Amino acid sequence: MERPMSASGAPEWMTAEHSMGTSIMAVAFDGGVVLGADSRTTTGTYIANRVSDKITPMTDSIFCCRSGSAADTQAISDYVRYYLDMHVVEMGTPPLVKTAARLFRELCYSNKTQLMAGMICAGWDSAKGGQVFCVPIGGSLVEQPFAIGGSGSTYIYGYCDAHYKEGMTKEECQAFVKNAVALAMSRDGSSGGVIRMVTVDKDGTDRTCFGGEQVPSF
Amino acid sequence: MSILEYNGGCVVAMAGKNCVAIASDKRLGVQLSTIAMDCNRVFPMTDSLYLGLTGLHTDVTTLHNLFNFKLNLYAMREGRTIKPTTFASLVSSTLYEKRFGPYFAEPVIAGLQADGTPFLCAMDLLGAMAVADDFVVSGTCAESLFGTCETFFRKDMNPDELFETLGQSLMAALDRDCISGWGVDVHIITKEGVTTKSLKARMD
Repeated sequence: MERPMSASGAPEWMTAEHSMGTSIMAVAFDGGVVLGADSRTTTGTYIANRVSDKITPMTDSIFCCRSGSAADTQAISDYVRYYLDMHVVEMGTPPLVKTAARLFRELCYSNKTQLMAGMICAGWDSAKGGQVFCVPIGGSLVEQPFAIGGSGSTYIYGYCDAHYKEGMTKEECQAFVKNAVALAMSRDGSSGGVIRMVTVDKDGTDRTCFGGEQVPSF
Repeated sequence: MSILEYNGGCVVAMAGKNCVAIASDKRLGVQLSTIAMDCNRVFPMTDSLYLGLTGLHTDVTTLHNLFNFKLNLYAMREGRTIKPTTFASLVSSTLYEKRFGPYFAEPVIAGLQADGTPFLCAMDLLGAMAVADDFVVSGTCAESLFGTCETFFRKDMNPDELFETLGQSLMAALDRDCISGWGVDVHIITKEGVTTKSLKARMD
């Protein structure tokens, strides 16, 4: 039976890099942000983890969504979490979302030739409330009202442009994220599993997970 | 990505007591993008013989048409329906004829012989036959299917048990393959006839 082989003769799924094909997004509302992601990590076409958590905490109220190489994004977010911890000790106040985003950009841009990482940094701070920053592959930094990323995001640009409105409430943002991620999961082979959602506002963080029947179908 | 993984998809067939069942997923994709969720890759060749084909979908369709054509001529010349073992040899030689420019499809054949005993065989894209008395698998999640089928299979299942076992084996394997899924069709073949059931599966 013909199977894709790596140079050493082992099947592709034994040697291919772990990739998070992914659908990730984050939306800001007045007073916080909603982050959403699928839960599929692949080695070639084999699903290595079907319940992975791609929304990673940086601080109590700043999170990042990770897409691209699993190893690269884990290493980058570990570095940024460490730098932010040091920053808190020095400053005595919780860090700004912009600071976390700038740290992501610094790492991703300076090491752009060796990394494959598309990150969305989103959270709440007392200075500007809810903010969403996108750090795509290459290491640029853009603040946006909402951001989508990962291979699955290509399928939902139209949906998101059509359904996003300024001034949405927290519940409207949550419904928007849930539907958009579900649509991306249904068309993109590298996205799937459960929908993980994190809502951050001044009162704290709320983590939810939608699986099986709870994932919207169209 | 290999040419056999371009469209995705998988087929599995299992034997019970005087019955066989064959199941497949319904996804058609272009590499990682899904373009159809209702594509059929298991075809009835006679009342008690089913052919499942995985791999490049254009070759799946072409081979289906080619075997229908050959079976029609066979029925006209022989005046009877073809036996499963004969059909398997026909499929094998058709594939091997293209040894140095093959069809990119890997078939699974499931049928009942004249005395009611099940017949199962799978082939690679060059026509190398592997006959089994328990189950055969083909497609992008074949490795996973081997694992799930080996675990769940028991000898001498009745049609209802066979449907349950085959369906669960396939669905568990689909959960671990990016390019298969979006629904499952199961065909259960007995002396009385064929029952087709659809299973609700994860749509991702």
